[in-house]
Amino acid sequence: MQIICISRGTLRGGKELAEGLAHRLGVPCLGREDLIEAAFRDGIQVGKLETAMVKGGRLSERLAIEKEHYLAFSTAFLCDRAREGSLVYHGRTGHLLLPGVEHLLRIRVVADPEFRLRAVMRDLGIPREKARRYIEDVDEDRRRWVHAMYGVSWEDAAQYDLIVNLHAFNIENAAAALTGVAQLPDFQMSPASLKALDDLHLAARARVLLARDDRTRAASFKVTGSSGVLTVTYLPHSAAVAPAIPKVLEALEGVREVRATMAATNILWIEEAFDPASESFRHVVEVASKWGAAVELLRLCPAGADADEVAAASAPAATPPRGAAGGIEEDVEEPVVVDGGLSATADALASVGRSGGARTVCASSDRLIEAIDRTVPYSLVVVGDVYLSKGHAARVRLVRELMGFLGERLKVPTVGIEDLKSRYLFGRADLVRMVGFLALVVLVFAVVFTNQEAVLRFFAAEETWARVLAAAAAFVIIPVVAYLYGTVASLWLKWIRME
Amino acid sequence: MDLFLGRFVTIDAGSALQVVVLGFIGGILSGFIGSGGAFFMTPGMMNLGVPGVVAVGSNIAHKFGKAMMGSRRHKELGNVDRRLAAFLILTSFVGIRLAVWVNSLMFEGGGGEHGEGGSSALSNLYISLVFIGILAFVGASMLKDALTTRGEGADQAPSPRMARLLARVHAPPYVNFPVADVRVSLWVLLIVGLATGYMAGTIGVGGFIGVPAMIYVFGVPTSVAAGTELYLAMYMGAFGAINYAFQGFVDLRMTLLLYLGSLVGVYVGVYGTKVVREVVIRLVTGTVILLCVFSRAIALPAYLRELGLVNLDPGWDPVCNLASKAFLFLAGIAGCALILVHVFRAYRQRRRIEATLVGTASG
Repeated sequence: MQIICISRGTLRGGKELAEGLAHRLGVPCLGREDLIEAAFRDGIQVGKLETAMVKGGRLSERLAIEKEHYLAFSTAFLCDRAREGSLVYHGRTGHLLLPGVEHLLRIRVVADPEFRLRAVMRDLGIPREKARRYIEDVDEDRRRWVHAMYGVSWEDAAQYDLIVNLHAFNIENAAAALTGVAQLPDFQMSPASLKALDDLHLAARARVLLARDDRTRAASFKVTGSSGVLTVTYLPHSAAVAPAIPKVLEALEGVREVRATMAATNILWIEEAFDPASESFRHVVEVASKWGAAVELLRLCPAGADADEVAAASAPAATPPRGAAGGIEEDVEEPVVVDGGLSATADALASVGRSGGARTVCASSDRLIEAIDRTVPYSLVVVGDVYLSKGHAARVRLVRELMGFLGERLKVPTVGIEDLKSRYLFGRADLVRMVGFLALVVLVFAVVFTNQEAVLRFFAAEETWARVLAAAAAFVIIPVVAYLYGTVASLWLKWIRME
Repeated sequence: MDLFLGRFVTIDAGSALQVVVLGFIGGILSGFIGSGGAFFMTPGMMNLGVPGVVAVGSNIAHKFGKAMMGSRRHKELGNVDRRLAAFLILTSFVGIRLAVWVNSLMFEGGGGEHGEGGSSALSNLYISLVFIGILAFVGASMLKDALTTRGEGADQAPSPRMARLLARVHAPPYVNFPVADVRVSLWVLLIVGLATGYMAGTIGVGGFIGVPAMIYVFGVPTSVAAGTELYLAMYMGAFGAINYAFQGFVDLRMTLLLYLGSLVGVYVGVYGTKVVREVVIRLVTGTVILLCVFSRAIALPAYLRELGLVNLDPGWDPVCNLASKAFLFLAGIAGCALILVHVFRAYRQRRRIEATLVGTASG
């Protein structure tokens, strides 16, 4: 099975190429128009959403919820079709609807500007200058849409496996060439990819259900799914809807458990092997509790690991039949799930109300970014022990590189697990620093307020040299005091767990 | 009121506490709306008898350190477009310099150098009028926005119509800003920088021009606009502090006392944004700002009388000042109380749900 996503622009021939490729492969071809029509039928105000996205600026609360609904609906729509068999999808950025699903073939179609200009002039019957502006406006609108919807740049070539310029060869030949590429083993779905697709499908269907139900439609949710376990996070001001969440989702096919977590923000914790009994777990939970954050677990396996084994290990154990069969039952040993402690840690997080979902990704660091949902507002990324098969020195370097890469791409503070305590938890060093800085602040205040007249005379001097000195003093003293007292205030708030 | 060296008030324990409270409320409001805070602190200091120009000078110095602390976090989050800030800084400095010159001239024109009570009336009147004009517009816009969002069929977010309109006006050269992901005409940048600097230098509230301009005129994302403005505020604060200190209008005691309250309050305000709905944020802020406008308007007759522009019994001066102060504190305390109630309620709700979840899991 395979999924091919073609990203197309206006009058670039992308639709024709998608249809040609689908025809050659003998698979269905699905367009953005089909998706929009279905979304419209489902009651999503796509036009309004599109206008707001293209306009830019802040979305109203209702439209932000509508955006969540639209994204979930689109993901569910694509997953539904993909689960029936291979497909070719042509739209703006279909591949971004399926984060974490490996082995997609992502193609971008571009065309010669002159070709597009002539096509617009011919189709719309407008002069050259108007046609140029028309193309610029349409491209700009699409760029804004993708940026607002997914937080990425549409033009970023790194997002695509292939970029096809239809200037050099015609659509038929391009379709023929792509048929060969599509048949490569790199673009065939593996069991791990299918599992990721199933998890996404479940989460998307759950989010759509929440959007359709009167009890929960007005709230914002983030839903993740893993092997039948749904984790739903909601904002503190929507706490009133929490009791309705399990009721809305109980009828959803494929759900084993629903975990609802109230969270003002999210922390992404990346490890290769999790341990709920570890010191790291305690520190992460402590930070999450302090911030009111949900913790999303991401188990990072090395790119070379057997992804299929990982998928099998992560799959849920067969659910035992409910109710007693009568007579004496033999003790049945629970199957041991070898998933690097992911399930156990997710359970432990759920028990303290901080669960934000869990999943496994087997990828190199540069592909890892594609598995992370860029629309989730993370406040912190914590990188723990990864690359365990490497030697110490190599591991330190790789972790440092990964942290730099994630921080740069996600634009979120990224820390190593060993720095978490010193950065975000109050320790003895913080206490010493707080007391020391406070003493300095008291000293400055004492000097200023016991010598008010002298200080004021100094700052109101008439001579030019004295004025320069006063300006220099203000330039130095004020930020120093702000730094000292600001640090005391932030450490104190850290101490009373209110950051 | 007798002023030391014609410009500095006497500070006792009571007035010091009032300045700390002003800082705390200003800090909460500043953290809550992402910029500003001076709109509350500067008039509050003026109500304590501080000449307007000294209140502005001390406040802009305070803004320097506060923005320095705040912009660190925004930089970590990648919300600062340094290139955009650099272009705005250049002209904002011109605006600040102009504002300091005008304010100093007003103060000297009002006879401030001679030190008699009420000598800063012209400067106070000018600063108050600018305050009233700008804050009335900002407060009314925020309230309108909040009330529209509450209503049916008002789903549209504040749209950068102006940004799109200006994008169609051909005014080269254009400058690209990679973090904010926008392209802006250099001329528009220069005008906005100048206006932001002038407002920061005149009343200490540059953010009320800079942030909306970045969002609505340039089309910059809200988070980047707030982060860039704070980064810009750091430089504007530094330049303003140097200029006002050179003119002798920075009261270091006031700046230090403001820090005592504001650097704690700002954290509470930021915490409030996480637990209060967006529409409530705009509603509370808009109402507080309009009450501040009203408070400042009540203080105007005293300045007009001092300048001989109206015939009023001087006995009314303390009444006007007291009423103005009462309104200001009422607005600030009510607004902050509302925020704190929301913070406390959300905190309790969170604890209750967490307890339920732990109970369910263990049961």
